[in-house]
Order: sequence, then structure tokens, then C-alpha cells
Amino acid sequence: MTYKYPSEKIFVEALREKFAGLDLSEQKVKYVRAGYLQSARKREFQAAGERVAEKRGIKQYDANVHLGGMTLGQRQLVPYKLSTRPDIVEGDDLHYVNNPAMQQMWDDMKRTIIVGMDLAHETLEKRLGKEVTPETINGYMEAVNHTMPGAAIVQEHMVETHPGLVDDCYVKIFTGDDELADEIDPQYVININKLFDKEDQNEKLKAAIGKTTWQAVHIPTIVVRSCDGGNTSRWSAMQIGMSFIAAYNMCAGEAAVADLAFAAKHAAAIQMAEMLPARRARSPNEPGGLSFGYCADMVQTMRIKPEDPVWYTLEVVACGTMLYDQIWLGSYMSGGVGFTQYATAAYTNDVLDDFTYYGYDYALNKYGPDGTAPNDLATATDIATETTLNGMESYEDYPTLLEDHFGGSQRAGILAAASACATGIATGNAQVALSGWYMSMYVHKEGWGRLGFFGYDLQDQCGATNVCSYQGDEGECLELRGANYPNYAMNVGHQGEYAGFTGAAHAGAHDAYCCNPLVKVCFADPSLVFDFSYIRREYAKGGMRTFRPAGERSLVIPAGI
Amino acid sequence: MAYKPQYYPGSSSVAVNRRKHMSGDIEKLRTVSDDDLVAALGHRAPGADYPSTHPPLAEMGEPDCPIRQLVEPTPGAAAGDRVRYSQFTDSMYSAPSTPYFRSYYAAINHRGVDPGTLSGRQIVEARERDMEVYTKATIESEMTCPGLAGLRGCTVHGHSLRLDEDGTMFDMLQRVHLEGGNIIEDKDQVGVPIDRKVNLGKPMTEAEAKKRTTIYRTDGVRYRTEEEVLDHVHLVHHRRTMYGFRPENASETAAGTGDIKYHTV
Repeated sequence: MTYKYPSEKIFVEALREKFAGLDLSEQKVKYVRAGYLQSARKREFQAAGERVAEKRGIKQYDANVHLGGMTLGQRQLVPYKLSTRPDIVEGDDLHYVNNPAMQQMWDDMKRTIIVGMDLAHETLEKRLGKEVTPETINGYMEAVNHTMPGAAIVQEHMVETHPGLVDDCYVKIFTGDDELADEIDPQYVININKLFDKEDQNEKLKAAIGKTTWQAVHIPTIVVRSCDGGNTSRWSAMQIGMSFIAAYNMCAGEAAVADLAFAAKHAAAIQMAEMLPARRARSPNEPGGLSFGYCADMVQTMRIKPEDPVWYTLEVVACGTMLYDQIWLGSYMSGGVGFTQYATAAYTNDVLDDFTYYGYDYALNKYGPDGTAPNDLATATDIATETTLNGMESYEDYPTLLEDHFGGSQRAGILAAASACATGIATGNAQVALSGWYMSMYVHKEGWGRLGFFGYDLQDQCGATNVCSYQGDEGECLELRGANYPNYAMNVGHQGEYAGFTGAAHAGAHDAYCCNPLVKVCFADPSLVFDFSYIRREYAKGGMRTFRPAGERSLVIPAGI
Repeated sequence: MAYKPQYYPGSSSVAVNRRKHMSGDIEKLRTVSDDDLVAALGHRAPGADYPSTHPPLAEMGEPDCPIRQLVEPTPGAAAGDRVRYSQFTDSMYSAPSTPYFRSYYAAINHRGVDPGTLSGRQIVEARERDMEVYTKATIESEMTCPGLAGLRGCTVHGHSLRLDEDGTMFDMLQRVHLEGGNIIEDKDQVGVPIDRKVNLGKPMTEAEAKKRTTIYRTDGVRYRTEEEVLDHVHLVHHRRTMYGFRPENASETAAGTGDIKYHTV
């Protein structure tokens, strides 16, 4: 096989770092049983726990509290290397509570809403006879960027928010109309031509967006940390309405204001995530309603490095697994400390990268360029079987790799994700990729006589029956499925991967977006706090304690702790 | 002609062993006394009566019910035993059994059992005395190597960890240890010390484990050489997909027919 990409055991370097000085292929080892003392982070936790207990008079963290007083960490506690990065962190640094970059990624999604301007402009022009020009739009953008963070406009003597606490809040504009974009003050424009300058992605996006005009609104992080995601549209719409009143010298009480408000809140508003039904009861812009297609569109690596679809795909996996496994299922749904290590397996130590590049190369050699393999079950069967067998053999040949992915659910997620991502890139079709996922699960289970936890018996054994179904209550194209799709609603280790191979299909087809061009453009904005082009780099910065998030209260609280 | 179950495809030793586990045609290799087993399980003191959750069924005056007439209660159900568990962990380094094949063995060969199958462990819940019968049969047979498998109620990640330097499966709670060539268990399933040393016998040699194992591995029987099993897997995938989509066309596209061919890559 001729390799196009470096897919030959690239996880070995990470294993050497983790298991320093040990033979990676040795099946036996002397276990030192050094407990928590072997980890700098655990020692830090132990000391911090003692300080907390002393300060408040109530016991807290104690690594010695375990079965019969035995400490956790009786085997070698190994660190984690962020995939594609040189950065090595402790596992604890990848829990979202300990990682401000992870928090900010979700905050940036949750605080975003895309609001169309055309309905409002039509109301102003046709109903009120006012003129809308690039100059008036610039005036509006100035007003809305003043007021969106929580400043007063129109009304006097109003309480306002401290600008320093909400410095991450702003509104930008984007359109498929080059003439209009050229006339808007550049500080307010998301420049599609410049940001999507590879493989004609800018032309594809502009063609999809057409002459329509949109606002990318990011309300303050500190607001969504106090309120739910449903507040984003309401906070945004109120400030948008007031800005229109100010920019177009309207009467604050005239009936047309209701039309502007309705457009901003409903008719022209695009939530990042759909509202969930009563049994799961979450507002819009909460993670359970985020479709895989939108998640894939938020990640930007496809425009940075379109020639390497695997890279983009695995950035989507990193984004999705953290959000869906660590935050959504791990905290919103399950509670407790959550499911961090289901997710970290997918974005650390270059394992998924290695397996996916292998499958990708296999497909390239057998079927030709990206997106050209036949869209059928035979392709899914072929690529997924070979990719899964290769991954299983890697676990068998490298006992330290098997030890790194010590849980079957981790291994199942990684093997199936690699299979599905490779299939998606090869075919350019997310449904065929999904079929590859299930193929991998069957191959894995039968080879080792084990798979993941109980849930894998549910969705991974029956899920194939819904691959080709497009009926709303049974299936859907994968781009529109999401964390609340019935079969996927309870199972960690899956949803981020589904988002990943949704992206894989479109990266393989060399599209400019996966599901919604507006979402793709909105998250290309370099002014966002979290950089959606480099998900794993940002996580690494969070783990290394060098990421600076928004929404901090330092300005209004005493210094120190 | 009477139906003879085939159980499982494949011709390698792994496939043969899988058929043995599923059919219950397993070899007894060692003896563990009833009291030792009860101590290792940790649910009750050896020699103590079985705690019960209801009176014996014969004393309860059960309603007239066709299902009750059809299904004879297991001894544990008839006596009113509580439901208790035994849980095994099998090393991925060629332990004789694997979670799914333990479950197949339990479900096919024992009545009143509720197997649960995960990656690192396999649990069976049943009425206490029924569970003990199942566990004793399993632990005394070729399905279990005391060095590569064990009763573990918690902390089961040893299944995928490198072996300890003496060749036994790693256990954070050190429920067993090697003593005089035998595996000695002195803690129960959840790591609580017990007042005896349960001798589980000698661990299998590496060669014997590889001969008896039901897991495919590159250092044993390579999975990708077992074409019949892989083709069976492909067929399952095809059928589950097509019967959820267009069942009327499923047979036309089945393995080996129509335009689509499914054969091991």
C-alpha cells in the first residue's frame, strides 16, 4: 500500500512519551502500585483538598478514600498528549471543569445566534418608507455593538453592564453580496472571500447565501453562564430591536417595532441548537439540540486545510466528543464527574488519527480520489472491515495502546469512528459512513467477544436498521440528526463521532459546508474567543493553563482567592 | 431429522472453542468446594441459609396462570431466594472466555439467568442458589483460567491492562495472588478480605490459554484469517440494514447474490 499520509503507527511517539522507558510491545510489566503520589496533578489535588478542608471545616478531596482505604492509581498513571500537538497534559486537565478552553468552546456556541436582516429591512422600507443603505446599516452596526453587551440606547438613565465584563460580546454582518459587503465598515464584516479562499469555498458559500444579509450575534459569555441557551435569542432580539429604533429614528412604541422584534426573535432567527421535547426539557441553544451537521459546520479546519480531510474530520470529533460526551451526556444528562475519558480517547495520543489515516489511505488506494467511492453497502463493508481489523491488530500488537484505551467503549468508539470517517471521506456520503460505523461495531464485537458497555448492545446492534431511513420519527439524514435522535439519546462515546463523520462526508466531497452555510460562515469569525479551526490546540492551551476565557468576574470581585 | 444447533461459524481453534462455550460442552478442569465458592462470592457466610425475599412458591398460593403452568420454577425461584450476582473479568491476553461467550453459555445452558455483557466484565444475576450453580460450573471449567480471569464485582479494567510480571491479570484490589504455583483468592468479589484462602488451582500456561481461548489475536489465531466468521458478520450487517430499509429487496442483495457481493476483504 502506498501511503499518502503518515498513517503508520503515529501513536507510537505518544506512547513513548506516556510510558517513558518501557517496551511498548511487552505484554507483562512490574506494577509499582504507587497510588496518587505518582501524579503531579493528583498531589496538587490532595494538597488543595487539605486546604479546603482546613478553611471551611468540612472534609473534602482525599485520594485515600476508596475501597478499604486503597488509593486510586494503583497502576501507572499516564499523561495525555493532545493529538497532532506536542502538548502533554494530565487527564484531569481534560475535564471541562478544569479546562477553560473547553468551557469557552461551548460558551461560544451557546451565546451565538444568527439573525437575518432582510425581513427587518423590508419592514423599514416597505412599511415605513425608510431608506436602507450601506450607510444606515453601518449606523445600525455601531448602535447594536454598543447595546448588545448590555448598554442603554434610546432610553435614558438605564442600568448597564460593565464593558470590561462583556468585552467578548459583539455583532458582525455577512452576506453573499460582494457589493454590499464592500461598503460595510470592515470591522463589522465577516469576510467570506478572505476566510474561505481555498478550493472556491467562498464562491460556493456566497452562492448558497445569495443576496441575503445576516448578523452573527454573540451575546456575553457571562450572560449564558447565568442563564440558559434560550436566553441568547431573547437577549439578542431585545437589543437588536432597540438598535433599529435608534439607528432608524423610529418611534419606540409604533407597531412596526413588533415586526422587527418578531423577526429578531423568531422569523429570522437561527438558533444553534433546537429546543428539546418535554421529556428532556431544554431550551434552544443547549447541547442536546445541536445537530451533527451544525456541529460539523462550526468547526473550521475544512477551510484552513481542505487538502487533508482527515484533519478536519478529527477536529470535529474533538469538538463533538467534548461537547456531547463531557458536557451534554456527562453533566446535563447523567450528572456526577461525567464521562471525560470516553471523549479523550478520541482526541489524544494520535490513536484515532492513525487509524483514520490508515482507512483513508486504504480507500484512496482502492477507490481513488476523495468522494468517488460507490455509495453502497459494499463500500462501507470493505473500508470499515479493513480499518477495524487494522485498529484491532494495533491494540493487540501494542499492549500499552490497549492499556491506554482501557475501556471497551473507548476502543469501540475509536475503531468505529475511524471506519466511518474513512468511509465518509471516500464516498462523500454521511449515510454510507454511518453504515461503516455499524459494520465496525459488528466486526469488533465478533473478533474480541466484547464491545462497549450495555448501551452498545442497544444502539450499535440495532442502529443499522435506521441507516437508510429518512422518516422523521425513525431516521433522518445524518446532518440533521443530533444528540436527541431517539437511538442516540443516551449513549456516550458516539455523538461526537457521528458529528465527525458527518463532516468527513463533506470534507471528502470537498464541499464548502456540511449543513448550513450560515453557521459555517458565522464560526469562521476570527474575533471569537475560542478558535474553531484548531479545537485540539485550544484544548491543549486550556490544559496547559494558558487559555484566557471570557466571562470572568475579576473586575468586580476581590483579588486573590 | 432432528435439528442440531451449529452455534457458530469458523474452523479455527477459536471458533471451535466458541462453539464449545455456547453449547455447554465444556471440560471440567478443577474443583472448588461449595463453601469456598460462597466465600469468594461474598454474598453470605459459608454454611448460612439462603436469605429469601418471599416464601417458597409452593406456600404462596399462586394464581391460576398458563405461564406458571408452562414454566417450571428454578430451584432458587421456588425457594424464594433473593437475586444475587457473579461477575467475571477475562483478560484480553488470551483468557479462555470473553464476555459475550460467557453470556451465550449462561443464556443457552442455564435457566433463570440474566446475563449482562460489557467489555471488561460479564455479570449474571439470578436467584442465589441458581447463580451459584452457574458460577461453580463456569469457574471449574475450561472457560476460566484463574490467572487470566477472575470474579470481580468492581475495578475490572485489568482485562485490557498488561499482565502482571508473573503472567496473571492485573488487579488493583489484589483479590488473588500466586502462592506455590496456585492462584489463591483471599478477598471477595468487591475486594473485602475473607477469612480463608480459596485455592483456585494452577493458572494455565501461555500455550494452554492460547489453545483454549475464544479471542482472536495477532499472536494467536488471526481474526482476518477466519473468513467464514467475517462473512457471517458481513451478512448480519447487510440483513440488519436492508430489513430496516426495504425488506422486500433484502434477499435480492444478500451475500453472494445480485450485484453486491459480500466477501471478506
